[in-house]
Amino acid sequence: MSHSINNAEHVVLDVRNLRKHFVLHTIDSRIVEALNGVSLKVSAGEHVALAGTSGAGKSSLLKSIYRTYKPSSGEVFLKLDDDSFVDLISLTDSELATLRGTQIGYVSQFLRAQPRRSTFEIVTKAGIQRGMDSDTAKQAAAYSLQRLNLDEALWDVSASMLSGGEKQRVNLAAGTISPPRLLLLDEPVSALDPVNRESALELIGTLTDQGVAVLAVFHDIDAMERLASRVIVLRNGVVDYEGSPQETLARLEGVAR
Amino acid sequence: MTSVVSPEWVLKVNQLGKIFGGLSENGLALTGPETGSSKDPVTGAIVAAWNVSFEVAAGEALGVVGESGSGKSTVMRCIAGDQSSSAGSVQIRTSPNEQIDVLSLTPSERRQLRIDKIAVVYQDPAEGLDLNVTAGGNIASPLTAAGWRNFSSIRSRASELLLRTEVPLNRMDDVVKSFSGGMKQRVQLAKALANRPPIVLLDEPTTGLDASVAAGVLDLIRGLLEEFGLAAVVVSHDFSVIEMLTNRCIVMNHGRVVETALTDQLLEDPHHPYSQKLVSAARA
Repeated sequence: MSHSINNAEHVVLDVRNLRKHFVLHTIDSRIVEALNGVSLKVSAGEHVALAGTSGAGKSSLLKSIYRTYKPSSGEVFLKLDDDSFVDLISLTDSELATLRGTQIGYVSQFLRAQPRRSTFEIVTKAGIQRGMDSDTAKQAAAYSLQRLNLDEALWDVSASMLSGGEKQRVNLAAGTISPPRLLLLDEPVSALDPVNRESALELIGTLTDQGVAVLAVFHDIDAMERLASRVIVLRNGVVDYEGSPQETLARLEGVAR
Repeated sequence: MTSVVSPEWVLKVNQLGKIFGGLSENGLALTGPETGSSKDPVTGAIVAAWNVSFEVAAGEALGVVGESGSGKSTVMRCIAGDQSSSAGSVQIRTSPNEQIDVLSLTPSERRQLRIDKIAVVYQDPAEGLDLNVTAGGNIASPLTAAGWRNFSSIRSRASELLLRTEVPLNRMDDVVKSFSGGMKQRVQLAKALANRPPIVLLDEPTTGLDASVAAGVLDLIRGLLEEFGLAAVVVSHDFSVIEMLTNRCIVMNHGRVVETALTDQLLEDPHHPYSQKLVSAARA
């Protein structure tokens, strides 16, 4: 597949010395360290997979970039339309809210949507939110739902009635339609059976061809091997090592055995 | 350097405060989250809200979260003009050339504002509606206040609103007190939107409704906020309401704002001890 374009001119995301700790006031003000100074870059058209054992900080990193977690220190630079960089950490809440969805997307394992809205509407609306006109969004939504094998009989059904795997596909379709320049994926295929997982991975694979910078967490090595242009392994909230999927994943598997 | 543009505010609340009674010299220092009380121990005055500031843009909903007694409804009532305030300012800007300093208006000017600029939906339908009047009559009242005179246009506007808020049209001429709780809230919404106000304040809009009914009303509210591009303030102690309707929040405790956050961040990474307590209680 596509390989690493680690060209400085194409950098979309530049994370510098990112730290995140939680102060748990309800438990004797205990401090939990999640990220201890992570630095990494992701370029346009690059798919970077985050690996590491659970608790290594993979999801915390995605959430700190998206600011679902408020970082304790460090910088998260995102390239904007005019090629300038903005530090997401220094933005006000309302400034950040305007970037979300349009410039930076986050696809989690779970679908969060209005209970009474139909699946087709959810995906279409996501496209419109990212600047598509209504007809284009409808076509793109249909294309993407078909690609993910979501039975057409379910398109006008409210998302709350779907199964876990169906919801996850709707979530993925909504997250990847007219994709933002940076997409954060947190276990987006965890609930899918092998056939549907296959179509979902194919869809994710097309993102890099569209120039999207992808930073993703998958629990299975096979998905990383197929999709990643580069793998970054986290350990105790810092980057342990990184490299091509071939070299890093062999090392990871070695540890697993 | 940065090309990120902050959306223009429609409603701006700056250092708003409301104190009941006379405060002692150190009254402000003696009240608030650190002291665990909003009551001045010397004079007995209540600092219901102090130093509350926020901005809301069109198409944006801000949540105000806190336990009962935290001051969240006081803030809403001061903005709406149901209550006078002791300090601060409230400004609304509905166009680049029109900026209104709400707190300096005369009572009659403030009533005027409620007709077509700021709408309020209360937890108790009796506050927002005349229960002895028909649904159509309740909606007609803000319309006639705004100068509508033609009976059939008022009827047709009222039916349009009831249709949009999912109230069966054959109930239009029934008195509101015969309606179920969920339907009363839908009529309140229809009335609130009658003159297409740019700002809507929602005070616990679904509290007290059955879960299934509440979900329907919430869903309707969210659709209306999006469709009309309203600037909304949603006061609620219920995190599921806040999560569904808002993208930013303030947390109030003993009359003060203790935390300001993106809604998803408040739910997953609350910082202030009080917010952590609230979130963990809601998640339990």
